[in-house]
Amino acid sequence: MKRVMLLMSAALGLVVSFSGCGKDPLKDMTDEESRIYVTNRADSVDFTSYKTFSIVDSVAVATNTNNDERALTDYDKKLIADVTQSLQARGYTLVSRAAKPDLAVNLTRIDNTYSAVYYDPGYWSGIGGYFDPFYWGYPGYGYYWPTYYQVYQKERAVSIDIVDLKNPKNNKLVAIWNAMLRGSGVWNISNVDSMVSAVFAQSTYLKANS
Amino acid sequence: MKSIKLWILTMIAFLGVQSAFAQVRSPLSINVDYSIGQPLGSLKDYTDKTSFRGWRAGIQYQINDQLAVGLRSGYQQFYQRLPREVYPTKSGDISAVQSRSLEVTPILATVQYQLRKPDAAIIPYVGLGVGTVNMLYNKYWGEFTDRDNSWQFAASPEVGINIPFGKGSPLLFNASVQYTYSPYKLQEITSYNVLQANVGLRLHIN
Repeated sequence: MKRVMLLMSAALGLVVSFSGCGKDPLKDMTDEESRIYVTNRADSVDFTSYKTFSIVDSVAVATNTNNDERALTDYDKKLIADVTQSLQARGYTLVSRAAKPDLAVNLTRIDNTYSAVYYDPGYWSGIGGYFDPFYWGYPGYGYYWPTYYQVYQKERAVSIDIVDLKNPKNNKLVAIWNAMLRGSGVWNISNVDSMVSAVFAQSTYLKANS
Repeated sequence: MKSIKLWILTMIAFLGVQSAFAQVRSPLSINVDYSIGQPLGSLKDYTDKTSFRGWRAGIQYQINDQLAVGLRSGYQQFYQRLPREVYPTKSGDISAVQSRSLEVTPILATVQYQLRKPDAAIIPYVGLGVGTVNMLYNKYWGEFTDRDNSWQFAASPEVGINIPFGKGSPLLFNASVQYTYSPYKLQEITSYNVLQANVGLRLHIN
């Protein structure tokens, strides 16, 4: 009996040594597991009331020091192509930006600390991308998210924003849909397909025909 | 962790030296246990996995042959990772792999009543711990966490047995079952209810 209890005690010592400290969930996390795909929509918007869209010809790269740089890397080309195809698959027609599209699609890669938009609890939501009013022919217009707060954060992310060009309100355009890709590997070209299909799959309401 | 290993080594060393002549146990004792925790109630909605990551340690003073008071702390982590899923939010959806963790660190004042005299071969006991507990909640959405750290009230009744390593030995084997309640409310969790099993050692030191 004594011997058994002594052995148990020794075993106990070992177990306590191994189990005493907490598990850090980030330690065994893959890049795929680290990513989150956040979509937000404007309330009371009928997505079928829009028929045409135009998309930026390059991707904005926003950093804390510079937010009007644009790029067209292979990654950016693939992102533009994937988002375009996804919207066409939902019944929207691609037109040139001169043809007065109903919707403008903005793509932004966000790097570093950037003034971001989110609402409680913060990490889940939309950070607005960079919007060039001159590109879209709306000088002096910004676009806004009625329910969001400004914050700062540090990371790499990608923002896909859809802006309503049909119904400006008080010299402002309203963003009606946003997707944020956050986590490790969001700037990796091999992840574009799965990320873009995920945000469209979770936004079934985003379609031109009811 | 070093200190726990040291304790156990000390206990084993003490066994040989003291058990030969100690007839009556000294009143002050320390104890360390390995703990397994089973979440119950709404805690299961957050993480329903049994926790094998836990321990507790305490110090206790024997007032008479049967009644003792003490102070106890410890650690238990409940953890579960859920596969990727789409969760609705106020204005949209979020697709994420959730890693849910709750790290629990109690600090309890304890009272223990032993149902047999100290010279018994097996000493069953009942106990109650009352105090505060630190709850560190981390719900990771991918690599981004929803974190909350708070202190709560906790109460923890317990039944167990002590088996001395020989008559009058200052070293005792301990096994117990303990239930802990805390009125802890956060998101899925409406109260904290855990059934916990402990095995370990108690050493009378002075």
